[in-house]
This record gives sequence, structure tokens and C-alpha cells, in this order.
Amino acid sequence: MNELFGSSRAARRITSTLAWLCYLFLLVPSLIVIPISFGNPGQIEFPPRQLTLDLYRQFFTDPAWWGSMVQSLLVAVATTLLTLLLAVPAAYALARSRLPGRRGLQGLFMMPMLVPVIVLGLGLYLQFSSWGLLDTTAGIILAHIMLTTPYIMVSVLSGLKHSDIALETVAAIMGASRVTIFFRVVLPQLKAAIAVGALFAFLMSLDEVVVAYFLTGTQTMTLPVKMFSSIRWELTPVLAAVSTLLTVLSLLIALGIIALQRKTEASS
Amino acid sequence: MTVTTAPAMVELQGVSKRYADVDALHPVDLTIAKGEFVTLLGPSGSGKSTLLNLIAGMVAPSSGRIVIDGRDATTLPTNQRGLGMVFQNYALMPHMTVFENIAFPLQVRKVPKAEIRRRVGAVLDLIQLGHVANRRPRELSGGQQQRISLARCIVYNPALILMDEPLGALDKKLREQMQLEIKRLHAELGITMLYVTHDQDEALTMSDRIVLMNGGRIEQQGTPDTLYFRPETVFSAEFIGSSNLLAGTLEAGPDGAPVLRTALGTFPVPAPDRPIERGAKAMLLVRPENMTLQRGGDTVHVTGRIEDSILLGGVVRHFVRCADGSTIIVQELNQPGRVDAERGHEVAAGWLPQHGRLLPAPPAG
Repeated sequence: MNELFGSSRAARRITSTLAWLCYLFLLVPSLIVIPISFGNPGQIEFPPRQLTLDLYRQFFTDPAWWGSMVQSLLVAVATTLLTLLLAVPAAYALARSRLPGRRGLQGLFMMPMLVPVIVLGLGLYLQFSSWGLLDTTAGIILAHIMLTTPYIMVSVLSGLKHSDIALETVAAIMGASRVTIFFRVVLPQLKAAIAVGALFAFLMSLDEVVVAYFLTGTQTMTLPVKMFSSIRWELTPVLAAVSTLLTVLSLLIALGIIALQRKTEASS
Repeated sequence: MTVTTAPAMVELQGVSKRYADVDALHPVDLTIAKGEFVTLLGPSGSGKSTLLNLIAGMVAPSSGRIVIDGRDATTLPTNQRGLGMVFQNYALMPHMTVFENIAFPLQVRKVPKAEIRRRVGAVLDLIQLGHVANRRPRELSGGQQQRISLARCIVYNPALILMDEPLGALDKKLREQMQLEIKRLHAELGITMLYVTHDQDEALTMSDRIVLMNGGRIEQQGTPDTLYFRPETVFSAEFIGSSNLLAGTLEAGPDGAPVLRTALGTFPVPAPDRPIERGAKAMLLVRPENMTLQRGGDTVHVTGRIEDSILLGGVVRHFVRCADGSTIIVQELNQPGRVDAERGHEVAAGWLPQHGRLLPAPPAG
């Protein structure tokens, strides 16, 4: 690249400065809450004048905050597990069978990615209200399964593309049934792809706010919804602590995804 | 044609495969006897892989019947045909150890654990790879991986082992070792094998019988000797071994015996296996090792100028350019103190008339 576009030092310096500016632009809003979260519990201030853990103490002792965190984790875990049960076999069937209308089905699975989330939220709200699923944990989990399915599908489908189909053929010749082949030959090869998809789904469900805002009520409020309403009604600095916790969690999961992807690239 | 007395392990009756409007395989009849080592030989696109996939059940035939071990298997799913297969890229499970890979087909068959351990141990000893049982396939060399993949077939004693260019990814020396190893296992265990290759040397080395495929049809089948010395078509002659072919018209000689009139002269020819009409176009095949360079003799010969002589180790190949522009190859044994004719020197390449073989001219186009 440098050879093609001239390798003068100045040009290189300008590009790297630009890149860093972009990173900062993207990162600063997330990072700025971290120092604030260790500040004075009385008010939001940057930079904080004293360092305390009071905001974290508040978060973990207030059942309204702590409860919504537990609710969010519960929803995210359930969503991830149920989506895996649905999407992994579906992706395998789509990739390996000669099902008529396969392309159409695949498009259908991807739809939730294309429809604006707000439209989805409204539609689910109207549908769920007639089914009595509003303000239920099952309702929000169902909605999140819909949102996360395409991501796990994409991840597993690309994993299947990299897996060697000859292994499935040879297993069939050795007498293995389709079910045996799926569990003993296909799944072990998809481990990393499934893990990446699962982490994505977990993260999406954990900080999804639009659909959750439509569907949850006081009984089932998830953490992002609680944060959103708290911004509107009280604007407490506890928000900074919550944001920091979420940022750290997201960062860990993102690092996990990167590590897994490295591992799969190295092995293939 | 070999007459097989052993019971048939595989029988194809009029089996064909048509994709859209391409005939991948024209109706084929083929019988493989129990314990036989049969090679499907042919260029790519000749239908040999299609034939293999039909037997394995990976594609369904457009017509015909497939019988495996006395059972009609035409519509039987792959996993119920009781076959084994060795692939060019080994197809070992990367997430299993060598032991687990070989144990897999036994586990599928619900063999008790203790017996699995015993049988896997036994085949690992047979291929002399007991020391790598706990390694992953990735940590092994190509040759070792292919031996493991062979062991994985042997361990459950399938009716037939299919091998799809199994040595194609190995270097020449290893390939020759593996050829002998596969032959040894075949002889010791009496397994029926169907081997697919495009490598004629491999086919000649290993097979009890070679089935030569061309354009979705069986061109000729027989023992390696038959295919080498008694090819029935120009395609067979050219695909197996190297060959000198002289094109001409078949005529009756002065004594009534057949002669071939060619651009390089008229030569006596042996009678063909299948009668060829007098006056028809035909070709005379003489293998290079059946020709000798001589400086004028009374046997049958063509004359030309030495173009090149190359040393192949045990043998020397002389390329003789004839008057009509064609090149005749003469192969002689190498000897200490050999003196080659100089380049451009006029020589005669001669052969014994009974070493020639008359073939019908290939169809035009």
C-alpha cells in the first residue's frame, strides 16, 4: 500500500493521526463515563473531584437497579440458549439439504435484521398485547430470540462453509446416521462459530432497548430500559456506574469474540 | 477379459447417470469379485468418480441396478451400504485423536468398549502407527494420515473399500511406499478394493484388474498385462504406457498375410483380435521397449534421424525423427560403456513383426 500511494513520512503521519482521531471520536463518549462513575454520588461531574465507590454501592444495594440487572442477565441467557437451539439446526438444514425454497427460507430468517427495530417493536407490542404477553419475561425473551436468530444463523452458516463436507460424507459411508453425524462430526467443528454467535446474541439481548421498551413493564424491566427511563426522570450519577459495568462486560465479550475468531482462523 | 469364479461383491447392471443433458456415465455393467483389487483408470471427466459415487450412494443412478454383497443397494442410503472409503485429503476428524478416529465406525456399530480398544490397537499395530494413537491427525505427516484413514476402514471390515485418488497428495517416493503398503494389506486381509486413479503406473502396479474409462464408458477392462500388451483401441494403447503408432491402410501381402501400407513403408502385421476389413484404415502399435536401434538389418524397420537420446536411469530413450515428420520412440536398456548414435545420424528402428499390434483406426473427430 505504502509503495502504491507514496511513502512519504508526512503522509503516513497524517493518515495515522486521522485514524486515531476517529478512534477517539468513537471511544471517548463510552470512556468518559468511567471516571465519572468513581466520582461524587451527589452529582454528575467530570473530572471527578474525589474518587469513591459510592455509586457502585448504590447500584448494588438498590433493588430497582440490581433487580433489573438480574432480569437483563436472565433474559440474555435464556435468549441465547433458546436461539442456539433454534438457529444451529436451522442453519445446518439450510446449508446441507436440497430443500425446495431454501433461499426463500434463508431470506425469511434474515428478515429481522432488515426491518427497522422500532417497527418490529411496535408490531410485537400490538401482537403481544392481544396474546397477553406484554410485561412478561417470556414475551421479551421471545422477541429477543427473533432479533438474535439472524446473527447466530450467519455465524453458523459461515462456520459450515469452512467445515469440510468430506468429513460428513466419510462418516455416512462408515455407517453413521444423520443425527450421529450432526452431533459427533458437525457440532464439534462449529464450536467456535457457535460460541461467537452466542456471544453476539447475548450482547445484543443484554443492551437491546427499543423492543424491550415496548414490551416490558414495571415487573419485567430490563437494565437498558431502566437506564433509559432513569435518564428521563431522575438523571442520577448511578447511570455512570451502570454504563461502566455494561461497557466492561461488552468489552470482555468483544475480546472473547476476537480471540475465538483468531483461534478458528489459526486452525483452518 | 478375466473370467471371475469368486462370488461377486459388487454388481452393476446397466447403471448410468445423467445430469440435466450431460451423460456423466453411459449404461455400464461391471462386476467386482470378493477379494479383488479393481482400479478405475481414466482421465478426468471419464466417469470414474461418478461410478464411485454411485456405488457409495452419494448420487442416485438414472438407470440400472446396483447389488452390493448380494443385496440390492440401488436405493439404499449411503450409511447402510456397509462400505469404507479413503479420500485424497484423508478426511480424518480434526477434533478427534487418531484412536478416536479409528474407533468412530466401531462406536457407530455399537461395539463394546473393550473390543473397540482391542480392535483399534490391532489395526494400529498392523499399520505400525501404535505410537501416535493419542495424537491429533494434524500433527501427523500426509503418509501417516493416509495410513490412519486406511486403518479406519480396515477396522470394521466393510464389504468394499473405495479409494478416491488416495495417494494424489503425496510425493513420488511416499506414493510408491504407500502403493506397496496398500497392496500388502489387500493381500493379507483379502479385502475387496475399488481404487480410482488417473495415474497409469499406479494402476499397473496395484491392480488385479484395470477398468479403463473414457467419456463415460468402459473403454476396456482386464489384467494390467492385458491392458498393456493387448490394448483394443488406440485410446487404451496411448493411455497406458508409451506407444509408437503407425497409421495406414490394411492390405493383403504377396503371400496373403495382412500388411499395413503406411507413409513410412509397408509392414507385415499380426492378425487383429477383432477382424478388420481389408482396405480399412488401421494403426500399428509397437511399444518403445520392443524396438531396437540397428544400423541396417533384415527385420522390419523404419528409418529416420536421431533427434535426441535421454537417460532415464535404467533405460535410455531415443527419439527418431522419420521422413514424414513423425517421431518414433525407441527404448533400450542402459549399459556401462554405452555409445549413442550422434544427433542427426541416420538410424533404423526395427521390431519383430509379432511384437506389433494392429488396432482399428480411432473414429474421426
